[in-house]
Amino acid sequence: MVAAPDPRDWPAVLAAADGTTVDLHMWGGSTEINTFVDEVYGPALAELGVRLNRVPVADTADAVNTVLGELEAGRTDPGSGAIDLIWLNGENFATMRQADALLATGWAEHLPNAALVDWDDPAVAFDAGRPVAFTTSPWGSAQFQFVADTARTPAQELPRSYAELSVWIRERPGRFTYPAPPAFHGTRFLTQWFHELDGDSDAWVEEFDEDRYTEVAGELFALLEELAPALWRGGVTYPNEIADLDRLFANGEVDLTFTQLPAGIGANIDAGVLPATARPFVFDTGTIGDHHYLAIPLNAADAAAAMVFADLVLDPALQAAKLDPVNGWGDGIAISPDRLDAGQRAAIDAVTAGLGDEAVPPAELEAVRTSNPLAELTIRLEADWDRRIRQGRGG
Amino acid sequence: MSAHGTGTPTPGSTVGSPPAASSLPQTGRRSASPPTPIGRPGPAAAGVEGPGRGSPGHGRPGGPGHGRPGTTVAAAALVALLLLPFLPLVLTSLSRGYFHPQILPETWSLRAWRLVLAPGAGTWVALRDSLMVAAGVTLVSLVVAVPAGRVLGTRAFRGRRVVEVVVLLPVLVPGIAVAIGLHVTFLRLGLAGTLPGVVLVHLVPATPYVVLLSAGVFANADLGLEDQARTLGANRRQVAWSVTRPLVAPGLAVAALFGFLVSWGQYATTLVVGGGRVVTLPILLFASAAGGDTAVTAATALVHALPAVGLLVVTARILGRDVPTLGGAR
Repeated sequence: MVAAPDPRDWPAVLAAADGTTVDLHMWGGSTEINTFVDEVYGPALAELGVRLNRVPVADTADAVNTVLGELEAGRTDPGSGAIDLIWLNGENFATMRQADALLATGWAEHLPNAALVDWDDPAVAFDAGRPVAFTTSPWGSAQFQFVADTARTPAQELPRSYAELSVWIRERPGRFTYPAPPAFHGTRFLTQWFHELDGDSDAWVEEFDEDRYTEVAGELFALLEELAPALWRGGVTYPNEIADLDRLFANGEVDLTFTQLPAGIGANIDAGVLPATARPFVFDTGTIGDHHYLAIPLNAADAAAAMVFADLVLDPALQAAKLDPVNGWGDGIAISPDRLDAGQRAAIDAVTAGLGDEAVPPAELEAVRTSNPLAELTIRLEADWDRRIRQGRGG
Repeated sequence: MSAHGTGTPTPGSTVGSPPAASSLPQTGRRSASPPTPIGRPGPAAAGVEGPGRGSPGHGRPGGPGHGRPGTTVAAAALVALLLLPFLPLVLTSLSRGYFHPQILPETWSLRAWRLVLAPGAGTWVALRDSLMVAAGVTLVSLVVAVPAGRVLGTRAFRGRRVVEVVVLLPVLVPGIAVAIGLHVTFLRLGLAGTLPGVVLVHLVPATPYVVLLSAGVFANADLGLEDQARTLGANRRQVAWSVTRPLVAPGLAVAALFGFLVSWGQYATTLVVGGGRVVTLPILLFASAAGGDTAVTAATALVHALPAVGLLVVTARILGRDVPTLGGAR
C-alpha cells in the first residue's frame, strides 16, 4: 500500500518519480502525435529521471476497460495497476468518474503549472457535463471543424449550417457521410446537429430535459432517416472512425471530412493524410469546443511520474510547440494566455500568426464555439442513432 | 484464421486487412488439408530407409522445377500470387499523399520508413517482443504436441475422435472470447501484461494446429523402422536420435512453423492479456491502422509480414525438396 504523492510538496513528487517509468496509455492512431510525444516529452522527462512508456491503444475505451478490469479483479491498491496515465475526455472520463476509478485527491489543482490553467473557465472545469474536480489535468483543447477540398468544392458552395448541409446532401447524392457514432467525430457531428435544431446548446451543459430531448431528437432522427439514402453507399454503411472518413475524402469518394485541431490540418497535409488543397471551415451555427485531459487511475503504480508528466505538458514552451503544426500536432493550448508572461505569450502568438489558411482563424473559431454537453445527451444520441439509423428501427 | 484474432476487425479499425492477415490465412488454409508426410526422411535415416519410401517422383535430383517447364510456370505463378499483395503495400509505404486516382504515387517519400524504423519508434521493441513470444509459443507447443501427436497419430484407441475434436475446439472458439475469459484469471495470477501471460494465451489457438500437424507427421512416418533398429540392437537413445528424429524432424519443423505463425499474427488475445504492456507488431499495426496514415501502416505491415515470409522461405530451403511433397504423398 503506497500513499498517493501530494503535489503540494513538489520536490517530494519529483524525488518519488526519479528513476520510475510512466505508463501512458493513449490513442495511437496518429504517427505525428506519437512522434511528438516520444520526441518532445520523452527527452524532457528523461532530464527529470522519468522514463516515458507510451502505450498506443486503438480506442481509449480499451485502456479504461483495462483499469476497470483490474479494479474488478481486486487490484484497487495504489501501486497495483498497469496504467499510470490515460489520455481521455468526454464519456471515457464520465465512465471512470462514475466507477470511482480515478485518483481523486485533487492532485491536478496543485501541479506547479496548474497556476497557468484557468480552472474558473467552465470549458476546463467541466468535462461531459461533470465537474472535473481536479481529478484530471488538462493537456490541450480542440474544436470541431469541417474540411473540404478547395480543388473540388469552391468555398462559396460550402454549407455553413446543418440546415444548409441537408440541402447540400440531397443535391450531391453519395458524396457525404459521417463516422458511425459512438466514434468520437460521429457523435460530435450528431450532437451539433441536435444543438442547431434545439437552438440553445448551453441548455444541455448541466441538465438533461427529457421532454425536450424527445421532441428534438425525434425531429433529428426523422431527418437523418430521410437523408440516409442520399449518403455515401445509400446510408447502408458508415465509416467506423474519422481515419476512415479521411481516407474516403482524400481518395475523392466523399466531399467533406472533419477535424478537431484548432491549429488546423497542416500536419495532416504534410503527412500525406489529406490532400494539399484541403481546408477547414466551421458552421456559423456553432461547433463544439472542448478540452482533453490526463487522468491517473486510482491504482496507478507510478502516480508521481504521472504527475510529473501532467505538469510537464502544461509548460508554456511545450504548449506552444504542441500548437505548432510544424511539429506534427496542431493541438489547442490548455493554459490561459492571460496567465503567461510576455515572452511565453509571444511564443504562442507567433505560432497562431503563422498558421495560414490551413487553419480557421482563432477569432472565427472562438465566435462559433459551443460547450461540450452532458455525457447523458451524447450517450442518448448514440443509443438512439444505433437503434434508429444503424439497425433501421423507427422511433 | 480469423477465429483467433489476426483477421478479426477491432472496433474502430476498418482498414483493409493487414498483410499478415492476408498472407497468413493462405498458409493456414493450405494446412487445413490433412498434414502428410515428408517424402524423404533426412539423410541420416537413409541407411535404414525401408522399401516403398522415397519414390522416384520425390527423389528427383535438382529440386523442383527442373526439367519440367509446366512446373516452372506453376511455381512462378504461385510465387507471384504470394508476392503480389505486397506490391501495393510497398508502393504505399514509399509514398506521401497516395490517393485515388493515382495509379503510381505522385510523391515518393521515405518518410514512413523513417518514422517506423526510427530508433525510438517502438517498432524494434515490438519486433523483439513478437519474436520472443512466438519463439516461446513454438517451443511450448512442440513440447505438448510431440507426445500428443505421436499418440494421436499412431495409436488407435477408443475416443480418439473425441480427443481430436477437443484438441480442435480452441480453434473454433473466437480468440477474443478466450482472452477475455482468461484475462481475469491472469490478473489474479499476475500474468496479465507479461510476456509469459501472452505466450500462454497464444498457446490456446496455436497448440491445436501444432498437435494435429504432429499427429499427421507421426501417422505417416514409418515408425516400424524403430522396431527394426531395436531388433538390430539400438538402444532407446540411438533409436530416438538416429531413427525417429530424422523421420519426423522435417514434418515437425513445419508444425513448429505453424505454431510460430499463429502466434505471430495474434492481435485480440495479445491486446486483452498484454493489456498494452506487451506491444507486439500486430498491436502496433492495428493502432496505426486505426489512424489515417496509410504510408506508416503499410510500412508497419511490411515489417510485420517480412519476418514471417522470411521464416517460411528459410524453412522451405532448409527442408529442401521435402516441402513441395508436403501434402502430396500417399
